[in-house]
Amino acid sequence: MTISFKQIEEKLKTEAKRLLESGQVSVVLAYGKGYDEKHPMPYVARNPSDVANIVFNEYCNYNMARYLVRYPAGTKIAVAVKAADSRAVIQLIQEEKVKREDLVLLGIPVYGMKNPKTQEIIDGKTTGGLYNPVLYDILLGDEVHGQAIQLPYDVLAAYESMDKEVRFAFWKKEFDKCIRCYACRKACPMCYCDPCFIDQNKPKWGDKSPKFHGNLMYHLTRFHHLAGRCIDCGECSRACPVDIPLYLFHKKVARECEEMFGQAAGMSIEDKPALVNFRVDDSDKILE
Amino acid sequence: MLKKTTIDKLPELAAALMEKGTLVAPIKEDAGFNFREITDTKQVDLIFHNTIISPKSAFFPQVEDFVQYQTGKSILEAAPVELNLKPTFLFGVRPCDVKSFQIMDIHFSGTGVVDPYWQKRREATIIFGFAFDMNEVADAAEFYHTLGIGAADPEGSDIFMVRKDDILMLKVITPKGEKLMTGLSFLIDASADEIKYFDDYIAKGHDYKTRYTCVDTEAIAREFEAIFDNADFWTKISDACLSCGVCTFVCPTCYCFDICDETLFSQGTRRRVWDACMFTDFTLEASGHNPRTKVYQRLRQKVCHKYSYHIRKYGVISCVGCGRCTRYCPVNIDIFSIVEEAVKAKWYKRL
Repeated sequence: MTISFKQIEEKLKTEAKRLLESGQVSVVLAYGKGYDEKHPMPYVARNPSDVANIVFNEYCNYNMARYLVRYPAGTKIAVAVKAADSRAVIQLIQEEKVKREDLVLLGIPVYGMKNPKTQEIIDGKTTGGLYNPVLYDILLGDEVHGQAIQLPYDVLAAYESMDKEVRFAFWKKEFDKCIRCYACRKACPMCYCDPCFIDQNKPKWGDKSPKFHGNLMYHLTRFHHLAGRCIDCGECSRACPVDIPLYLFHKKVARECEEMFGQAAGMSIEDKPALVNFRVDDSDKILE
Repeated sequence: MLKKTTIDKLPELAAALMEKGTLVAPIKEDAGFNFREITDTKQVDLIFHNTIISPKSAFFPQVEDFVQYQTGKSILEAAPVELNLKPTFLFGVRPCDVKSFQIMDIHFSGTGVVDPYWQKRREATIIFGFAFDMNEVADAAEFYHTLGIGAADPEGSDIFMVRKDDILMLKVITPKGEKLMTGLSFLIDASADEIKYFDDYIAKGHDYKTRYTCVDTEAIAREFEAIFDNADFWTKISDACLSCGVCTFVCPTCYCFDICDETLFSQGTRRRVWDACMFTDFTLEASGHNPRTKVYQRLRQKVCHKYSYHIRKYGVISCVGCGRCTRYCPVNIDIFSIVEEAVKAKWYKRL
């Protein structure tokens, strides 16, 4: 089967209009026109008349769950979610940042999304091997079945084959490129801390200048803050203006977490976040 | 004086410049091109559109060390970091970026308060401007033409270069450039045809259309003043904004910085580091009060600084239309569209 982006766009518009007109939600988080077709933008519809600006095409990668925490508690929000985005919503519900009853999830089953910078299809890198949203209220298309699945950890093969020294050299090279624009943390749906540890200056946790030590401090801390929480949307890596493959580390930690605790982030609304939950049968591997 | 060489002889030119001082030129990196200090003559690559980070970093590096000190010791033992600059050649700068240096001069020397680091770097540097390839279609994000900058505008360069297939033509613009050029004896004289091609190319530069309209700076400043308090407008504009620092860090005319002390064990350095008005802590006051807590306030500051306050204060727009902020924005926020929306129909027309 092929994905009809146009059809999804039409359904997205119809549902957004219906929800806004009925007053069921006051905000719809979706995708809108950008400065050209290849560059759509995250879009917020507040009135039924805004709905005409909604678009959906293969470049609408944005994880709209990132914007949920921006609205005051209790705001009724409809949010368009692809597979990974729905995991972000679930994780945010688990972490009590948003309430399930405040949300209407407009699920988008899709594959073949593209990175506008490289034209590369990003399914294997970002969707965690999923094409259908994990959680939704309204599905804006038929569920995807039978499409070849690239497993979420497949892209780790080359990374995992590096030994300790090579791996450190790899990250040193990558982190040396970092300009500390913080696009990664700002694009991340799970990075909602205010203030972020790196912005604090009493105490000061890391240097502000984009030199290796400060960069390492920033990225490693962020990686660890996302352990067991990263939902594999890949927004950090796409937001990066210097193309640091941050997703590799996140995936590596996600894999270890899954192996240790038998749970992937944002897969069930019933779960508790792996690292804040204690179970007697929890793995002790982390202590070894 | 129009000289020429060929693209495959670039390493030769690079070597000659490296012998005389420091060469900073575009090189190809994983994510795209960037200006870097050249260590190997083969690195120089002129087949590029534009760099990710603007060449402002040649004069205003992201990190500038001022003073080195030891914690626990007397301030009298602290040592200022001296700038020992060799002559520097900034090679392959696009006309819009050359223009940005003139805007930055306003802040770093033009107001009477002279920043010695900027000034010294400026004085030590010879700029090799480089015309855009007009056979290419302009990048959708760019709009330098709107701001009166031609795709082949030699203004502000010391030496200006135009590429014609595999021929690179170099023309002296300033006395500083002339002095250097006379020392580069292996460059050969261009033919009469090439001189004509070069002159025509420069003239044609102003007809090369990026996104374009007539700009009335007074009208733009006025419109932005009128909508300053329109929170609905600015909220809508900033709905997508992540409030990260990409746009300001890649921008050739953003000049905000923070001065911070960074210590490793007892070794301390007081340094200047780029800062960005898009960061939450940028306006955080010692009292704990923050006058710009909302994303829309910060985006409004960025846009209005360039397109309103700067016009009122210095008479010019603080933007050169290079398109970097739009191109690298993770959510495709387009400053041209924002100005267009603010000033409505007076601004946008794609020719």
